[in-house]
Amino acid sequence: MSDIIVDVAVIGAGPAGIAAGVGAKEAGAEKVAIFERDWDLGGILQQCIHPGFGLHAFGEELTGPEYVHRWISKAREAGVEFWTNSMVFHMEENGSFWIMNPSLGIKKVVAKSLVLAMGCRERPLGALGIPGTRPAGIYTAGTAQRLVNMEGYMPGNRVVILGSGDVGLIMARRMIWEGAEVLGVYEIMPWPGGLRRNIAQCLDDYGIPFYLEETVIEVHGKDRLEGVTVAKVDKNRNPIVGTEKFLGCDTLLLAVGLIPENELSRMANVEINPVTQGPIVNELLQTTKPNIFAAGNVVIVYDLVDWVSMEGERAGRNAALFAAGKFKPGEKKIKVSGGDNVRLYSPQWLSGQSDATIYMRVTQPIEKSCKVVVEPGLYEKRLRYARPGEMNEAHVKLQDLQALGDVDEIVVDIKEV
Amino acid sequence: MSTQYYDIIIIGGGIVGSTIARELSRYDVRVAVLDKAAELPSGASRANSGMVHAGYDDKPGTVKAHFCPKGNEMYRNLYEELDFTLNKVGSYVCALAENEIPHLNLLLEQGRKNGVPSLEIISGDELRSREPNASKDIIAALWAPTGCIINNFEAVLAFMDNAQQNGVELFLETEVSDVLLSQDKRQVVGVNTNKGLFLSPIVINAAGVHSDEIAKKVGDESFVIHPRRGDYFITDKYVGNLVKSFFFPCPSEAGKGITVAPTADHNLLMGPTSIFQLDRDKTATTRDGLEQVIEGARRLIPSIPMNMAITTFAGLRADPDTGDFVINILKRPHGFVNVAGIKSPGFTSAPAIAQHIVERMKDELKDLVDFKPDKNFVPERKHIPRFAYLSMEERSALAKKDPRYAQIVCRCESVTEGQVVEAIRRGAKTVAAVKIWTRAGAGRCQGGFCGPRVIEILSRELNIPMEEVTRHGGHSRMLVGKTKEYWFREGM
Repeated sequence: MSDIIVDVAVIGAGPAGIAAGVGAKEAGAEKVAIFERDWDLGGILQQCIHPGFGLHAFGEELTGPEYVHRWISKAREAGVEFWTNSMVFHMEENGSFWIMNPSLGIKKVVAKSLVLAMGCRERPLGALGIPGTRPAGIYTAGTAQRLVNMEGYMPGNRVVILGSGDVGLIMARRMIWEGAEVLGVYEIMPWPGGLRRNIAQCLDDYGIPFYLEETVIEVHGKDRLEGVTVAKVDKNRNPIVGTEKFLGCDTLLLAVGLIPENELSRMANVEINPVTQGPIVNELLQTTKPNIFAAGNVVIVYDLVDWVSMEGERAGRNAALFAAGKFKPGEKKIKVSGGDNVRLYSPQWLSGQSDATIYMRVTQPIEKSCKVVVEPGLYEKRLRYARPGEMNEAHVKLQDLQALGDVDEIVVDIKEV
Repeated sequence: MSTQYYDIIIIGGGIVGSTIARELSRYDVRVAVLDKAAELPSGASRANSGMVHAGYDDKPGTVKAHFCPKGNEMYRNLYEELDFTLNKVGSYVCALAENEIPHLNLLLEQGRKNGVPSLEIISGDELRSREPNASKDIIAALWAPTGCIINNFEAVLAFMDNAQQNGVELFLETEVSDVLLSQDKRQVVGVNTNKGLFLSPIVINAAGVHSDEIAKKVGDESFVIHPRRGDYFITDKYVGNLVKSFFFPCPSEAGKGITVAPTADHNLLMGPTSIFQLDRDKTATTRDGLEQVIEGARRLIPSIPMNMAITTFAGLRADPDTGDFVINILKRPHGFVNVAGIKSPGFTSAPAIAQHIVERMKDELKDLVDFKPDKNFVPERKHIPRFAYLSMEERSALAKKDPRYAQIVCRCESVTEGQVVEAIRRGAKTVAAVKIWTRAGAGRCQGGFCGPRVIEILSRELNIPMEEVTRHGGHSRMLVGKTKEYWFREGM
C-alpha cells in the first residue's frame, strides 16, 4: 500500500479549496491535489442554483454551479489533480492524513504543505434546546436545499423557517417556487441574520412574512411534524408569556447559524479560535502549524463566495511557497484585537510579511454613517451602515505596519462617526 | 389477516423482551417478539441514561436489590460474547452538603448487604484529583467501581440479534390489541394484533410503560404503571471528556437525580428529570424540564458549556405503583407471564430477570411447552463493524473486502455505507433504525449531512420509493413528494 505523495494537498473541493488549488499552481507547485468527499466538485455551490455569485470575482452575476465551474476549469487548465469520493477521515499532527475511496480503499497522503478548506456546516435543532417532540419534517435549510435542488424531492408542503440566515431566506423563496406554503421566517434577534438583498428578493418579493424577535418555542407532532409554537421574545431572548401562537405546519427549516467544520484541524492540533470556531491564522492564512494553511468558511463564515475564493487562492499560493521552501516565516507576531462592536474577525495575528486583509462582522447593527478603522492609524474607511449579516473588511499595508516600528497589537473596530 | 402459531409470544422488544427472547432461544421453542415500534429499542430502553448500576440504591430484600448486582455482573461478561459497548468506568454519588453524608453511608451499607463489591466513600478532594471538573461544592462521594456505562441501543440490538440468529422471530410495527383466552378464561391462547392473530399457549408481558394495560386484558389489575418522564441533553464529543465516570447527586424521593456522564460513544449526557405525566407515548421535552437538567448538571460539573449541546430527548419510565419490579407467572389465566414495571435499575437487572423468569417458566409452565435445550444454540454474535473505532489495518481490510466500507455516509460519526447496508440487512427499515444500529445521524450535525444519503440507501436497499422512507415508521415520512409535482396537481 503505497502512500500518495504531493507537494500541496487541499482538503475540500468547494470554492475555497478549488481556488487554493489554482493559487498553488500559480505559485509554481508541481503536484497539487484536492481531496473531496463528494462524488462531484463544487461543494455546497452545486446546490446553490440561484444567482448572486461572482459579482466581485468575475464582474457578473452567476449561479452557484456556473461560478464554481469557472474555477474548476481554471484549476483543470492549471493541472490541479482532483480526487473525488475521497473522504479525509483522519489526520496526524504532522499534517499527513488518510483518505478513503471506494475504488482505492484506504490511503495515506503525505504532503509538503496543506490547505484546509472544509467549509462549514449548519447548526442543528438540538443545539437550540427547543423543547417538544422529534418528528420527521425538521431539516436544516441546506439539507432541504440539497433535497429540492439536487435530489428532486420535496421535504414538505407547509413550511415555517426558523432563523434568517441566507440559506433559510433562499429556501423560503425556493419552497414557494415549488408550490409549498411558507408561513413565515422567525428570527429571535432584532435584526436579520442574512443579507438585506436576500430579505428583499426572497421574502418581500413573495410576500413571505418576516418576524424579528420571535422564535419557535416548541415542536409538536409524533410521527410527522404537526406544528410549532412561536412566541415573541424579550431583550434577553426569553419567550414572552401570552404571545404564544400555534402554527400548523409539516416542515420546519432551520437557518440558525453556520459552524466552521474543524474536526480535521483539531486532529492536526491546529489552534482553534473559540469565537470564530475556525483555525487561528495570520495574514498569510498560515495556521499555528507552519505547514498547514486554511481558507474560506473553515476559518470564518463569509457572506459572499467571492471573498472565499480570493482567500483560497492566497492560501494556495502560500502553501506552494512553503512546499518549495520559499515561504518566509513571519518574524513578527502582531496580535489583532477586535473592538467593542466587532463580534468576530480573521486573521487574528499578523506576521508582518505582507499586506493584510482583515475580515470582520459587527455584533450590533449600525444603521447610520460609520467607519471601519484599524488602530493605531493603519486604516479608515467610511460605511453607510454595518450589519451583522454582512462581512466588512479592512486593509493594512505592510509599509504602514513597518512604519509603526515595534507594535505588538493592533485593533480593528467599526464605530459610529 | 394471517394467523401464526408459536410456543411463546413476548409483547415488547425492549431490554426486558430482548433478554428474555435471547434466554428462550437456548431452547427448542418457537418464539415471536412483537413490538409496536418500527425499530428497536423504542420506549424506555431507548431513552435512558445508559447506566449499568452497581446495585447499592435498592433496599436489601427487594426484588430490585436482588437482581441489580446480578445483572451488573452479567453485563460485565456478556458484552464480549454479544459485542456491545460497555465501559467499565465506575460511578460516584456526590454529597453536596454535610447532611447528605449520612445518605452516602446508607448507600454504602445497602450496597454491602446487596453484595456490591469495592464500594468506598472518598473525600471531595480525592474526587477532584481524579475528576478535575467536579464541583468544588462536592464534599464527599460514594465510589462504585463496578458501575458501567453501556450503549443501550447496541445492547438491546445485541440480545435481539442473537435471539434471531437462534431462531426467534421479531415482528415490528405489530401492536397487540387483545390477549386471547380460552373460553373458560383459564388459559392464554395468544394475541390479536394489527398484523393478524398470533396464537401461543404462553404470552410474556414485557410491554414496559404499557404493561399494566396488557395485564388488564387478562383481568390482572394488581399493578398500575405511572409514566414518569425524564428529559435529557446530549453534547458534542468535544466536551465528552469533562468527566470520566458517571456522576449522581444524592438520590431523593423523585429518583436518582440529574446525572452527568460520558456516553458509551464519548458524548456528555445530562439528565434525567423525573416528571409524572399521563400520556404514555408522548416523549416531548419541556422548557422547564430542560432547564432543570442544566441546573442539576451544573451542580455537579459547573463548567459544562451548554453551547455544546447537540440534541435533547425524553424517555418515559414505567414506574409501577407497587414500588418494585412486577415479575410473576399468573395462575389464572395459565400461561401469562408479567415482567413489568422494570424501572431503574431495570436495564441493569434485565439479563438476571430473564434468566430467572425462564428458569421459573421451565418449571411452572412445562405442561404448556417442552423446554428442550437447542443443541445448535450459538451464544456469540458480532455487531456491525464500528468503522470509527477500528485500527487503520482493520479499516483497510474491510474496505478491500467491500468497497462500501470505503464510502463515508455520516461524517460526524465516521459511518460508512457498508455499515448502513448491513444494518438494513439485519432489519433496519427506518432512518431512526439506521441511526440506532450505526450512529449515522447521531453526531454533531444530527443528520444534516447524512440524512439525504440514508434516505437514498434505504430506498435502494428496501426497494421502495424515496417518499416512502420514514423516520420512525407510521406517518413519519421524510419526504412528501417530488419537486414540480405541485404544478401538475389536479385543479392547478
